[in-house]
Amino acid sequence: MLKRLNESPRLDIFIAIVIAVVSVTTALAAWRASMVSSAAGDAIRQGLVDAVKKQTAASEDWRKTYEEAGHAQTYAVVLAQVEAFENSNDKAAQDQAKNMRQYLLPNLQLIGDPLTTDEKYLKSDGTYDLERRYADLVASSPDLAALDPEASFKLSDQYSSEQRWLTVGVILLAISLFWLALSQLSMKRSRLVTLAIGVGIYLFGLIWFGLVELIFFSVRGGAL
Amino acid sequence: MSETPTPVTPEPAERHKTLIVVLTLITTIITAIVAGLQSDANIRANNANRDSQYYAVLASGELHRSGLQSSYDLNTFAGVVREMQTSLMMQFTALQSEQNTDKLGTALSNISALAAQARADKLKSFSIFYTDPRYAPINADDMPNAEAYVANSNAKANELVEKQNAAADDYHAWSSKADSYVGVLTIMAVAFFLFGLAQALTGRMRLVFAIFGMVILLGASGWAMLILIV
Repeated sequence: MLKRLNESPRLDIFIAIVIAVVSVTTALAAWRASMVSSAAGDAIRQGLVDAVKKQTAASEDWRKTYEEAGHAQTYAVVLAQVEAFENSNDKAAQDQAKNMRQYLLPNLQLIGDPLTTDEKYLKSDGTYDLERRYADLVASSPDLAALDPEASFKLSDQYSSEQRWLTVGVILLAISLFWLALSQLSMKRSRLVTLAIGVGIYLFGLIWFGLVELIFFSVRGGAL
Repeated sequence: MSETPTPVTPEPAERHKTLIVVLTLITTIITAIVAGLQSDANIRANNANRDSQYYAVLASGELHRSGLQSSYDLNTFAGVVREMQTSLMMQFTALQSEQNTDKLGTALSNISALAAQARADKLKSFSIFYTDPRYAPINADDMPNAEAYVANSNAKANELVEKQNAAADDYHAWSSKADSYVGVLTIMAVAFFLFGLAQALTGRMRLVFAIFGMVILLGASGWAMLILIV
């Protein structure tokens, strides 16, 4: 009976159909693995673009901070000179201080704005809080401040990890295809055994694929 | 008289066929493993390449920032030195004017000295070289510790560049491995071809091609092992 089954043309057709199904599945699995690889590449590209944008914005913010710091320093230094003149016993120095306070300092203070005009930047030692000014400049561009290259890189890591496991799935499907082809060629008693092995590996590969997709789908919060 | 059973010998067309099937199966499995390793090496190369580029961006940004800071710090320090020297020089001038009984000159020089000293004192409070204990002079006549300042201001950029170099080295290593695995896979394809030929042929030629295939398979497997270990 087993011999009859082995040589049955129906079994030939059945194996051919299974091979076709496994071939299509393998092609779909390879396509999905390639898609995931592409998504990882996209996330890397996005992360690098964001990193360049963010770094350029940071560089510009630091440049502006130090430019303002230079103006504010000039104001503070001239103010110190005026105060020294005012406290001296020299009449000419006192007159000079009066004019400087009236005509020069207001303009220097405006040039040093906002470090020289906003109390929150003034430190107890009379210098200015540059870190705070930089933080405020960063916060003034919420779009750029919100860029997070690390998040894109984390996403790319997830896609890469998924790609690794999907590749294992594709390999399982390829091995299943090999056993099924062996079963198709063979006319011996082992034909049914090789068919069972091929189908078994195929089903295992399918479950593997499904699990990998499900796990990474949930890790990414529902994103494909 | 009993008949002795004659041993069953396979027909020439079937001889060594099982061996070739087994060899093909082994080749398939090894190829699958190498394909997996190649894919993994490629992913690692991509990630290292990404890290290398990211650290390069961060390092260039940090260099720009530390350059701006150094420029500000050194300008402030130069201002302190300039104003201190000006103050000292005007005090000397005031003394000379006093000796020459030039009252107006003495007064003017004293005012200039006062102004310069006030500016210098204020600039000192802005200068990291006088306010930071890591660089501030220990004695009044000493100079600030510029070497420590230079080392510290470049420390973060150097650290990022080191990371960038390490990531770039990783990229080259994994990329080279991925390329080598492609070479192994190509040779595996040759082994497949030889086993296919062996399957199609009969007699001695089947064995010859099977042996060729085995040699190729062994060589490719050895190469793959070498790539994996090194």
